[in-house]
Order: sequence, then structure tokens, then C-alpha cells
Amino acid sequence: MINNSKRKSNSSKGTWQKLAPKSSRRPASKAALKKRIISISKVLSLVATLGIIGFVVWFFPSNKNNYAGPVDLTGPAVPVSNLVFISDGVLHRDWFQNWFGPLRNRTLMDFDIVDLQNELINEPQISFARVSRIFPATLKIEVQEKKPILRLCLRTKINGEETWLISEDGNIFKGSCYRKSSLSHLPYLNLNPSLLKKKAKDEGYEKLDGIPAIAPLLEIARKEYPGFYQDWQILTYQRPYDDDPGAFVKINSKKVKNLRFAPSNYSSQLRRLKFLLSDPKFKKSLNVESIDLSHDRSVFAKLGR
Amino acid sequence: MSKIIGAVEIGTSKAKALIGEVSSTGSVHVVGMASRLNEGMRKGEIVHFRKAADSVHSALADAEKMSGTTVDEVYLAQTGSYLKGRMLRGSASVSSSDNRVSSSDLQRASDEAKRREPDNGRTYVHHIRTPILLDGRIVQDPVGMIGSKIDLGYWSIDGDDQAIKQALHVISNYSLDVKDLILSSIASSTMMAGPDLRRAGTLVIDMGAGVTDFALYRQGFVAYTGVIPVGGDHLTGDLSMGLRILEPYAEKLKIEHGKATSEPMEDGDDVWIIGNKTIGDRAIPRKAITDVIHVRIVELFEIISKELEGLLDPDELKGGVLLTGGASLLPGVEQVASKILGLPVRKASFPTGIANELAQPENATVLGLLHYGLEDHSLPGKKRDDTEVGFLSKFRKMVGLSAQD
Repeated sequence: MINNSKRKSNSSKGTWQKLAPKSSRRPASKAALKKRIISISKVLSLVATLGIIGFVVWFFPSNKNNYAGPVDLTGPAVPVSNLVFISDGVLHRDWFQNWFGPLRNRTLMDFDIVDLQNELINEPQISFARVSRIFPATLKIEVQEKKPILRLCLRTKINGEETWLISEDGNIFKGSCYRKSSLSHLPYLNLNPSLLKKKAKDEGYEKLDGIPAIAPLLEIARKEYPGFYQDWQILTYQRPYDDDPGAFVKINSKKVKNLRFAPSNYSSQLRRLKFLLSDPKFKKSLNVESIDLSHDRSVFAKLGR
Repeated sequence: MSKIIGAVEIGTSKAKALIGEVSSTGSVHVVGMASRLNEGMRKGEIVHFRKAADSVHSALADAEKMSGTTVDEVYLAQTGSYLKGRMLRGSASVSSSDNRVSSSDLQRASDEAKRREPDNGRTYVHHIRTPILLDGRIVQDPVGMIGSKIDLGYWSIDGDDQAIKQALHVISNYSLDVKDLILSSIASSTMMAGPDLRRAGTLVIDMGAGVTDFALYRQGFVAYTGVIPVGGDHLTGDLSMGLRILEPYAEKLKIEHGKATSEPMEDGDDVWIIGNKTIGDRAIPRKAITDVIHVRIVELFEIISKELEGLLDPDELKGGVLLTGGASLLPGVEQVASKILGLPVRKASFPTGIANELAQPENATVLGLLHYGLEDHSLPGKKRDDTEVGFLSKFRKMVGLSAQD
């Protein structure tokens, strides 16, 4: 190597190569200027082409590999740390956690709130549900519950004796989170088994048609005549519709063994009942056999012996 | 795979550029050629850089356009009175124990010959190797032969640094590299005198516009080269001064009525200067024209004869004298040359295979540049240094930063 370079330097000594200009920056003619411009354009085109190729080679694979789904506009994902559960009834936060299961560090965007909302509404005890995200880490659940007005005692071969609850609209549900004391004042419904229809897939029972017609009676009694209401034990009804002349609602209570109402104008009937029971004769009697309020202007009562 | 090479001659009257395509078999196909009038030169030297550069660059651009390609390197012809030749000799003892000559022995002899530096302010332009002597005998390739001493010589031409720089700068200004500088007379001799003529011994005289180059070959090798600062333009100048007419008319008279021989002519054999007999036009005796030209031609060949005194041995120059170049087209020039040089003289002809439009005496140098450049002039046993230009060098050239070490 050293010998070669020495030889080269010796041979070039005194030769014209050393006189060649190192650079030639100013073109001396139009042709030289044109050639210089074309040359520089070629270099720039080459650099631009290489740049574009490099960018394409770099950009597309890296974009393809780093694709991480839809853009998250909410910033860095944080696991849900706060669960707000609001109900107008007896259901509470623990019930929800038990019903939903563990959150497992899920972030707000991991929840499909529409799906969750629909599942809650499908619960027989819940009439309305709203699920919302409160960023950064709060999941808010609001529910409205169905109010039970009656109890239904059923005996099955598999489960034995079970108490179900009946809401104002006739839905039959098991009822969660109720204290025994809160349900103890509810009258039982005596129902002809033929009216009770099972739902598909063994998920409870179909809605009862006549209950909405009875519900106002129980509501008025509970609010305005609690003395009567707390004494009511069993309710029976038959075709409780206004236009049905044979329709009636029958209640067994401690004071009056058989109370019979027509399924309309409950306030008037209850007023008459109050008037009747305020009579000294009825007050003294410990045992009233029956009172029939279902007739428009007449009340038929039978005192016990 | 073919290769593109270029050749440039910066002549006193014209700048010529030629682009050739060298096939894989070594044959050259001329794909582009152009020439432009050059007003930046006097007697082979650049006196106006920008004018000279403009002519050369325009010729190169035209040639590139004609060929549809570009060149990276060119062979550049060198001529001018600033060039001087001299013989450099070197010798080396055969170093191997069995006295077999190796390429390193030749290299040492070569280095020894080239060791002598030119005078201050001058630089070697071209080294032309002379025969190799092995123990006093001329041999073609001594490598592997047995002997004790190698003698080797170079006919070396040196020139003025500034003049060489100017020529190199013209080329580099067009973002090209100069692959090699070649003496104009050597280039035209390569084209016009074949190997047989060179072996027989011949003198090639290239009569250009500004200068006359000549190269003398003996036994196939260059024995002498020279440049006389007299050319066709001087004939025009002489006519202009002698006949008191403008140079364009003098040039026209030279081309249309000029003759190198001075023969007795009849009275009344006149020619008109302009030719349309308007005001300023006048008749000049034809003899006056030939007399003026004859005197200058005689002077030119007498200078050559004087410079080659002792070398013009008819026994050594069996090939005679060949005339080429634009001024050699002058009728009767070979008779005058023969009379003065004492040798048979003829106008050189191109070898077969060259197109008619190219085969003109004024193209001898530029065509010869390509042929000489393609020949292998390296020492026997040495590979020709023909490295391709690297990517970085090309890139540097593209952005106009051509650099040579």
C-alpha cells in the first residue's frame, strides 16, 4: 500500500494533473451554465426521488405496525376508580358490582354503556336505567325500580315455596335487596293458577293483565287509609275491568273477612267503607263477615256472630 | 457494454468536440461531432478565456446533443509554441538472480527517466515512450527475457504552467474531467500514419490555422516533435498586408485562388478581390497571391527542415512526409515541402472505414485523440490504469466540484 502510494506520488510529480483546477464554480459560458443547471437538477431529482422512496419505505410499514385502533380522544386511558350508583329504590352499589362482576382495571372506554344500559333495563326489578361515563375514571349508573304492591306465594316441585313480588304494572319478579320488614305489610295475591304463565327459557312469569286495574286501590288505601291497608291480607280478583259487570276485587282482612270492591272509583268505595266502619255498631263488632262495596249506591254487609 | 469517450481540440480557428462510443470489441463509433469558430486563441494559446470557453463549451454541447448522451471525461489536444520536447533516458539493472527481466525493472528504468524535472514554471504534458533496449538491443517486451541492463527513454513534452492551466480550466468549467493531455501532432499522426508507416519512418506535418505541428517517427517510435507558430492564418495575414486588403477578403482569396507553388503566369490573369466590381473592388494579379503564399510556405518548411536537421535521413524515413491539417489543402504545398525537405511528400489520407464528412484533414487531430487515447501506452507487463470514475467523483462533477489530485 505504502509503496503504491509513494510510486503514485512520484509519477505524478511534474505532470499536468497537479495543474488541474480543484473546482470550477463559475460557468464561463451559457452552455456550461446550462449543463451545471441540468446537473444540479438531476442531483436534486435524484435526492428527491430517494427521499420519497425512503419516506414511503419508512412511513407505510411503521404505520401498519403501529396501528392501534380508533384514535382515543380522551387522553391516556385510566382504569375506572369510582362507581356511582343511584337508585330510587332498594338496589345499591354492591348489588351492581355483584350483578356485573369485577371491573378488572377496565377503562371507561372499555365499557359498552349502551349494552350495559339495555341489560339493566332487562332486569325485572328495574324500569329505567341510564349509564354514563364521567372522565377520567367515574362510571355513573342511575336506575328507577318497579314498586312492589303485592306478594305472590308459589310452591313448585323444584324450589319449594317461593315468594314473588308483583309491581303496579303486573310484572312478577323475585325482588332483590328488600328487607323482610319492608315487604311484610304487602298483601298476598290469591291467583287462579291458570292465569299464571311461565316465560320462555324458564325466566319467571308473564305479566299479569289485571294488576294495573287493582293497583290504584292498593295505592289509595296505603296512602289515605293506612288503618285499613295494614289489615289487608289476601287479595283476589276476577276480570277487574270497568266494563265487565261480573268483575270484582276481593280482599281478606283481619277485621273484615271479605271485602268486595268493584274495579272502579276506588276512592268513593273506600270512603263508604270508612263511613261504614265508623258506625258504632260496626266498631263494636269484632268480627265482620263481609262488606260488599261493589254495588253502586248500596253496601251489603254481614256481621259475624 | 459500450463506453462513451470524448475528445476536444481547442484549435486557433475552431474548437472541435467529438464523442465516440467504444464497443466491447474496442472499435470506436463516432456518435457526435461539432465545431465552433474560436476567437479566443492566437497561435495555439488562449488569449481570451471566455471566448475560448464559449466556443469549446458550445461545441461540446452540440456534440452531446447530437450523440444524445453526455461525457464525463475527455482527451484534450495540446499544441502551441510554448510546448518543448526533449528526450529523457533512464536505465536499470535487472534485479533478479537469474537475470530475468521483470516489470519492476522496467518501472525503475521508467522512474529513472522521468525523474528529471522540467524547468521552473513548466510542467510535463506528455511522455511518449521510445524503444526499450535490453543490453543495447531493441526489444518489444523484455519482461521474462534474460539480460543485465534495461534502457528506456521518453520523448517528453513540457509546457508553460499558465497555458496548460488555461486549457484545463476551459474543460473543467464545463464540469468535465480531462482524462489525458495528448500532443496534437501525436494525435494526428496516430490517425494519418498507420503502424507500417511509423515503423518505416515518417514525418507527419499538421498544418493548422495558428500553428504547424510535426512529429517524426523512426522505427515505429516518436523521435521528435515540434510546434512552429506559423499556420494558415499567417498566410491570410500576409495576403492582407501584402495586398492591402481586409482579412476576410484575404481569406477568400487564399481559399479560392491560393497556391503554394510560384509558377510563371500570363499577364492579365487577375482575380477580383470582392468579385462584384463595386466601389472598393479591384483586380489583383493571381501571381501576387501565389508569391505571397509561396514565400510563407517556403519559410515554414525551412524552419521545420532546420529544426529536424540531421533527422531527415531518407534511409530512416522511408515513409516520407505526410501533410495534414486545414492548411495542407493548399494546392502545390507538397511540391514545395518535398523540394525543401528533400523527401517524398504527399497529402495524408484517412484509413478506410471513416465517413466522408469526418475524413477531412482539419479533423485529423480530434479523431486521432480518440484513437491514441484508446491505445495501450503502458509499460509491458503493466496493466493499463483504466479505472472507472467512482460515484462520488461523478456526484462531485455533477454539482460542479470536479477535483483532481
